[in-house]
Amino acid sequence: MKILIVDDHALFRAGLRMLLATIGRNVVCLEAATVAEALTLIVQHTDMQLCLLDLTLKNEQGFAAIQAIKNTAPQVAIVVVSGCEDSATIRSCIDSGAMSFIPKSVPPEVLTRALQRVLTGAVYLPDQVVSALEVSPQQLPLTPRQTQVLEGLSRGLPSKLIARELGLSEHTVREYIALIFQALGVHNRTEAVIKASQLQRPEPTAAARG
Amino acid sequence: MRFVSATSEQAAAPDRELLIELVGLHAQAMLRMPWVQTMLVLGIGLFIYSYIKPAVFLAWGALTIGIEVLRARFAAGVLKRGYHIDPKRTHATFVGFAALAGAAITAAAVMFLPRLPLLHQALFGAILFAIPAAGVAVSQSSPYILAAYAISILVPASVIWALLHPSQALGLGALTVLYLVVIILVAADGEKLLLRSVTIRHERDRLVRDLEQRNADVQAAVGKAEQSAQARSRVLAAASHDLRQPLHALSVYSAVLASKPAPDLLDEVSENIDQIVRALGNLLNGLLDLSRLSAGYYVPEQQNVALERLISAVCAEYQQPAAQKSLLLTHELTPVQVLGDPVAIGRIARNLIDNAIKYTERGTIRVTTHSEFLGHAPLAVLSVFDTGKGIPASEQTRIFEEFYQLDNPGRDRSKGVGLGLAIVQRLCELIGAKISVESVVGEGTCFRVTMPAILGETTSSEPSLPMANDESLRGKSMYVVDDELDILNSMRSLLGVWGVRVRTGDSSNAADRIFEQYGPPDLLIVDLRLGEEEHGARLAERLQQTYGSFPVLIITGETSSEALRQANERSYTLLQKPIAAEVLRRAIVTAVNSSRTVTL
Repeated sequence: MKILIVDDHALFRAGLRMLLATIGRNVVCLEAATVAEALTLIVQHTDMQLCLLDLTLKNEQGFAAIQAIKNTAPQVAIVVVSGCEDSATIRSCIDSGAMSFIPKSVPPEVLTRALQRVLTGAVYLPDQVVSALEVSPQQLPLTPRQTQVLEGLSRGLPSKLIARELGLSEHTVREYIALIFQALGVHNRTEAVIKASQLQRPEPTAAARG
Repeated sequence: MRFVSATSEQAAAPDRELLIELVGLHAQAMLRMPWVQTMLVLGIGLFIYSYIKPAVFLAWGALTIGIEVLRARFAAGVLKRGYHIDPKRTHATFVGFAALAGAAITAAAVMFLPRLPLLHQALFGAILFAIPAAGVAVSQSSPYILAAYAISILVPASVIWALLHPSQALGLGALTVLYLVVIILVAADGEKLLLRSVTIRHERDRLVRDLEQRNADVQAAVGKAEQSAQARSRVLAAASHDLRQPLHALSVYSAVLASKPAPDLLDEVSENIDQIVRALGNLLNGLLDLSRLSAGYYVPEQQNVALERLISAVCAEYQQPAAQKSLLLTHELTPVQVLGDPVAIGRIARNLIDNAIKYTERGTIRVTTHSEFLGHAPLAVLSVFDTGKGIPASEQTRIFEEFYQLDNPGRDRSKGVGLGLAIVQRLCELIGAKISVESVVGEGTCFRVTMPAILGETTSSEPSLPMANDESLRGKSMYVVDDELDILNSMRSLLGVWGVRVRTGDSSNAADRIFEQYGPPDLLIVDLRLGEEEHGARLAERLQQTYGSFPVLIITGETSSEALRQANERSYTLLQKPIAAEVLRRAIVTAVNSSRTVTL
């Protein structure tokens, strides 16, 4: 699995690389200190699957970077790893196309767990964001197909790519998405991603730690 | 000039202010007088015209109105000049005008009264006696103006009346005197009142000014406090970011270790942790230093420091770090003595050199010390030049801010914590040094620290300058005043070698005699302590006041800041004993040359 780490702090980058190498299997890490470097590497390595992105998210540039990576390579799932941790920033990251968000301030064991989850393709979001989403009473179980579509949606894939991956027509994927929203009681992709992170939790009462 | 005896409340109000006030009010009233006088002349004319020749009456009318017109014009001039008038002289002029105006009016009594029938005489007399009463108001309570006016009217008028009616002479005389005394007293009371109101107004103005001043002080203090609070919160915000970053990184390494990494990773892990911990330590130390400096806990020492030696030692410390980056660290250190805190100066130099090494990729770091003069004040200059990437003009003030780092938006801590220059600036403020920066982008940067120097003995080996064969001092006249005979003798022989015409004195009195006999010299060299009441700097000042400006060198064996302060107050060049010949010569040449452009 090829992973790109984008962080301007070299020592943090090195730490993440070693952590991923330790907890993941067959992980290949590439490092970039700037978004420009990151985009170059993404273009060179078309098999890149995951991008751990640290950004100064105080301004719009951070979200723009997420979109830039998404535009260049839609298949890359973006996990924001940031010193920021306010809910609005986290939601904006998901809005911009990120799949997960790991605050840098989480304790080491949570960091390890969070990275393990994103390595399996699951969504990780901090508790505060998950619990802020109103849980709708009617929550229907998803069919395996719907789960696959939700995963694609979480990774930030456009419906065309989800359709291609699953061998469906784009129209069908759109219908699935509508059904998923209905089943989860959500109104948009961001809420669906948050919901997905809840559903994918190993322990359903995960309010303890996140 | 005083109108009334001074009471306690007047003592505070300056007489000049009062007089200006009074004269101004009087002048204001005088502007109307030509019209009043015209009405008066017309009024008098109405009832006496049939008894008096028209030509005589018109002449009198023209005279008295003319005087009032003159007085009004003078008053207008006074008002125009406002506070720039000489109040005493103006007041005296008004007294004169009052006498003249009164005399002109009373001329009517002398000319007309004998020609009028009794009833008209009585009416005319009543008018004449009423005029001074009106004068009390018009004089604006100056008893002098009123007295001049009233006496010049009443005395001739009553004399004429007494001549016309001798039987009434005694009674009239007594009543006139009583009348005069009363109206003058009334005027004096009025003046007291005016004085009090002026005093009150002064007091009020002073209070208002005090309040405004205090208000401004408070506002300034509030502004300063706000500024420092802002600076503090900015530092805190930056510090919290900079402290969290290494903590986050440590947390990652902790996670790595907890997940049992491959053994070959351990070396890198420990190395990186070590780096992070060092950076954290540096950051915390920097913050502590900065807060110590800001809180004023650090009190700099005042001691003689051979700057070139201190800097030479600092440069030695940085040879290795410079060599690691393949940079050349050179120094050109001209001896210069400063009065300051060696720890603070050393720290300034370290931070500047450290900074230069950090921001220079190839080339040379050059460190220099030298002395120069700002007027007569000797300055020591420490410069650190580098061939780094330079600092754009727009950033040159910001580099002294805490946590500001050029081209390090990511705040990579291997480039340091961004507190170095902030600390340098605080230290410079503390020791009274000035720091400036010059930089050309792409070529390099020079930081310059200037601090007050002492001209004095330098013990380091400096290549000696040719001295005896330099002719620039030949034939110059110099006086040396010192109470130690040994010093006088050695100075006489040393200066003599340079071709100087030397005269020496061992006391203030001796100096006075030399000056009386030979006039001012090209240079006076005087010891600060002369073993008598008058110290050297004061003697020099007194002689300059008498004999005009001439250059002065003060020599002293003292290192206390009091001695420095006394000489510095008069901006004399100060030499510390014992003085190396060469230092003395340089100081003498500088002093003699600078006297051509600078007047003491």
